[in-house]
Amino acid sequence: MSYCVNCGVELDSSSVECPLCHTPVINPSEILLQIKNPPFPKEKGSVETVKRKDLAILLSIVLISTGVTCALLNILVFNQSMWSLLIIGVCCCIWIFMIPVIIYTRLTIYASLLFDGLALGSYLFLITFVTQNDRWYFHLGIPIVLLLTIQTEIFTLLMRHIKISIITTSLYVFSNLAVLCVGLELIINHFLYGRLYIIWSAIVLTVCCIIIISLITILSQKRLRESIRRRMHF
Amino acid sequence: MNKKYILPKAEKRSWYKLDLSAIVYPTLQRKDFSSVYRLSIVLKESIQPDILQLAIDQALPRFPTYKVSLRKGLFWRYLEPNEKPGPFVTPDISNPCMPMPFKLNNRYLIRFYYYQNRISLEAHHCLGDGSGGMCVLLTITAQYLRLLGHTITNKGMVLDIHETPHPEELEDAYMRYANSKVKPPRLGEKAYRVRGTKEPFYTLNIIDGIMSVSEVMTVAKSYKATITEYLNAVLLYSLLQKQATDFSFKTRPVKIAMPVNLRRFFPSRTLRNFISMIYPTIDPRLGEYTFEEIIIQVHHYMRYYINDKFLRGDITTNASTQQHPIIRVVPLFIKDYIVKQFYTKVQDRNSSAGLTNMGALQLPEDMKPFVERFDIYMGQPFSPRTNCAIISFEDVLTVNFASSIVESDVERFFFRKLVRDGIHVKIESNREPGLEVE
Repeated sequence: MSYCVNCGVELDSSSVECPLCHTPVINPSEILLQIKNPPFPKEKGSVETVKRKDLAILLSIVLISTGVTCALLNILVFNQSMWSLLIIGVCCCIWIFMIPVIIYTRLTIYASLLFDGLALGSYLFLITFVTQNDRWYFHLGIPIVLLLTIQTEIFTLLMRHIKISIITTSLYVFSNLAVLCVGLELIINHFLYGRLYIIWSAIVLTVCCIIIISLITILSQKRLRESIRRRMHF
Repeated sequence: MNKKYILPKAEKRSWYKLDLSAIVYPTLQRKDFSSVYRLSIVLKESIQPDILQLAIDQALPRFPTYKVSLRKGLFWRYLEPNEKPGPFVTPDISNPCMPMPFKLNNRYLIRFYYYQNRISLEAHHCLGDGSGGMCVLLTITAQYLRLLGHTITNKGMVLDIHETPHPEELEDAYMRYANSKVKPPRLGEKAYRVRGTKEPFYTLNIIDGIMSVSEVMTVAKSYKATITEYLNAVLLYSLLQKQATDFSFKTRPVKIAMPVNLRRFFPSRTLRNFISMIYPTIDPRLGEYTFEEIIIQVHHYMRYYINDKFLRGDITTNASTQQHPIIRVVPLFIKDYIVKQFYTKVQDRNSSAGLTNMGALQLPEDMKPFVERFDIYMGQPFSPRTNCAIISFEDVLTVNFASSIVESDVERFFFRKLVRDGIHVKIESNREPGLEVE
């Protein structure tokens, strides 16, 4: 029978320290005694993930049947163009977007975002295939999809792995917004005029820079940061 | 034991409405949180899991509102009888009150564990409150002891597994008593919130304090208080001490959310939820309170609020919200969003800790020799903090703390105060050693 020298409570015979103050238990008279069964088991439980098999099957069947019926309609009735490819592409995209939600829930968010980007890129390629015009695809479609995918991946990484507060979240949002606007204008101008320059996005960039510099200042000054948090909490 | 068992003719219904309290609990469901409580009975002999499983299979049909699954309607959720196999007894785990997804475990909202001499029942709060759950656990334990060859009579919370459930056991008793002429407004002010490091997912820190009822009673009497008032005051005192050691910008009132068993005031045999919350409060902004002053405050608060008039008014206020015609036609997903926002922003911030006292459990005389003690855990708190639950049997009083924060400051202040008052306390815990340095 051991007692905590700080708290004065009796401790269970299996305790190696006081659970209240973490003072180690050193009882010379019981040092050679075999440790008794602990009051709680050691095995930790975990909840298995909910299987959404039925919903996944239903969604897959609905998308497959939509694609197949449209393809048949395209081949047998309205066969002037290959319009059914666009609908089949949409069905494939929806299926890929739904993978992390109902089909394979253990898929990491980064992999699913990558697949979403690839699906979007492939769908744009399908449009170029149907319309027989691929100039916009390589100079406009792919760069924009690439930019969006990279930005989303970085934003997710920052939100999940770096300490989050309202101020840091705002910092990420405004940084991403600035990069997105500048990137979009550069890509569009290069596609239209063959030159890399910015006009309207420069204004967005300037405003975002002011906000970003202010946020960094707030983040680096602890007193200022606490003051803002105190006044802005909800 | 090998004789073929005939299931009792329990009243069969195809579905049950959720009671007034139960409506809220499923809306708070998160990936890492379910409103699950745990009741444990510690026997004097090791548990035989196969016999226990048999006892559950035989006794659970007696409780039709516990052998159910939760389903979604367009406007409200409801309970549906569950005929799937289970629930099954499993070896106990170190992190009780794990989240309980509604679609797992064959859709049962009840779990059974065994460990050494202990049988534990975990139930989702939408099925019923602690009193209802305790009835289930005691009836199953009595059946388990009968299967071992002992004679146990049906009395009090041990129900006859062969009789048809009384309609009152299945009722939403709130609705029977929600008839006050006024609807008192809910007053609320943000309370102090315990600051601490949030534990990772699937961790629930438990600290049990085991003591003698007579010792606690003597100390409580010396303060001219009941056991509940005394332990409530000790918890408030511990929270005040914790707030004083925190570096907080603003001192806030310390409040305890305390469920009151309404069966004491409004006769009902319901096994579903029938509780109301009161909030004993100490406001340190008014000045420094001594422990004696805290006890006086708690004593008068309880005398003032725990009576049928106030409680009826509280029930009526809650029921009027649920029965409002506009609220009733709002689709469930919108209700879910609004309730969750209200709970997160208002209700959860309205208390610093939870404390429940199930009181002294009465068992049939022939069952008493087999039982050592009981444990009760309020489960995973919605926000990182600590909850306290008290239960007593014969001369053993157990105070069970369940917390989702790393620090054990509140528990330390609490038990040290009891020791200073001359109460002998034995501590048991599932906390892993060496994780925190004082």
